[in-house]
Amino acid sequence: MSFSTMLSTMIPGMFRTCAIFFLTLLFALPLGLVVMLLRKSRFPVISGITKVFIAIMRGTPLMLQLLVWYFSPYYLFRLSISGYRFTAILLGFSLNYAAYFAEIYRAGIEAIPVGQYEAAQVLGYSKFQTFFKIILPQVIKTILPAITNEVITLVKDTSLAFSLAYSEVFSIAKQISSSQTSFTPFLIAGVFYFVANYLVAYAMERLEQAFKYYD
Amino acid sequence: MKKLLSTLVSLACAVTLAACGSGSSSGSSDAVTYGFLDETLGTESYAIGFRIGDDELAETVTAAVKALVKNGTYQEIAEKYPDIKDYLSLKAEDISDDEIAEQGSGDPNFTFKHGFDLDYPPYSYLQDDGSVGGFDVELAQAVCEYLGWGYEAVPFNWDFKDAELNAGSCDCIWSGFTKEGREDMYTWGITYSSNTQMIMVSSNSGIKTLDDLAGKTVGVQISTSAAEMLEGDRADLAATFGDLKIYETYTVAYNDLKAGAIDAVAIDVTAGSYLIANDQ
Repeated sequence: MSFSTMLSTMIPGMFRTCAIFFLTLLFALPLGLVVMLLRKSRFPVISGITKVFIAIMRGTPLMLQLLVWYFSPYYLFRLSISGYRFTAILLGFSLNYAAYFAEIYRAGIEAIPVGQYEAAQVLGYSKFQTFFKIILPQVIKTILPAITNEVITLVKDTSLAFSLAYSEVFSIAKQISSSQTSFTPFLIAGVFYFVANYLVAYAMERLEQAFKYYD
Repeated sequence: MKKLLSTLVSLACAVTLAACGSGSSSGSSDAVTYGFLDETLGTESYAIGFRIGDDELAETVTAAVKALVKNGTYQEIAEKYPDIKDYLSLKAEDISDDEIAEQGSGDPNFTFKHGFDLDYPPYSYLQDDGSVGGFDVELAQAVCEYLGWGYEAVPFNWDFKDAELNAGSCDCIWSGFTKEGREDMYTWGITYSSNTQMIMVSSNSGIKTLDDLAGKTVGVQISTSAAEMLEGDRADLAATFGDLKIYETYTVAYNDLKAGAIDAVAIDVTAGSYLIANDQ
């Protein structure tokens, strides 16, 4: 197999990796906000359940979670899982990353001094206005570096989809490697992940710059 | 202090690299060849595994495979895979006309979901042009074409083959799948090939018999028949090894053998021949 064939065989895998990456972010970033709000709920039952959820999501391997999401419909409810692979992958990734994002959001919100809420109240802001006009912009500024970390980890974690035999770039690299008895595909995959993460880091840096309006 | 530390780190890196360099240059020396010991670990037969109770499907596929042996398609596909040609077990003269399925007799609305491992050359693997192929894949496709079924490839992770089959994401496991030791776990279709588990060593290792493996490090791929054999029937032999290393794939094990990190690889003769023949 020539280098160019190897590359062209891996390109669809790169698109699938990107699909997992972008769709996970699309679902996990807002879902994290919901999880954070539930975690901070005044009702101990809700915040308690959310704490357990976060503990499980962060405390068990993501690979194991993917297997559970994929196979549990059959083992629990005897449902056919034909064609369900990609959905299970997105479910696993989104819920796992939502748990991490929720904690990052919480850290950002708890970093805002109480005095700001009081000042906003004195100035006649509603609770809704206070959150979206005063608190949230500052939170985003604070948590961006932590989010960048998590997003970079996500790029590399997409390779865990190989456990469900989803043909993303790492699975294909593994398959080509065994049929061609060569390590070149892994090198290609490595370059792909590096470039992807470089782009992520660059984009996030630009975003951080955009939020530095007081400097 | 920082300077000292960074100097130490770069020194360590240089030493490690140098060690790697000398190791691989001796490993890739032209004089070294790879082959198998005469003594084998055991023999097994490959068959098609269906869910328990799927007898009708198993019989239909079996009758279709027999028809393909009778009309020469089976032998034609085998020609493309020299490493397994000698291990195919079906012959046209052994099959009578009343055993074979009729062409186009399958339900045209049925799509046969073929479950296999894409990491298992030469039975099921990515071809040189990047397409899915291998002896088992081509035979399964030929079965579907003959019966008039649709064909769907379901590549899965070999570690979870039973979960995939039970959960219905595929209709069968057909990917160099060993029948021995699993007789009661599946409804079995036809046995179409056999294989032998052997020990692969380098020509300069000095290992000639299984007894020579005492104290040596042997590599094997996880969940393969060679691995199951060394953990089961041949556990006595495995106990004499210095270490049994379980690998994710044989490609890594083979590279470790070439690099001198392990002394031998326990492997199916067909998969091993494929590795040696396709070594780049």
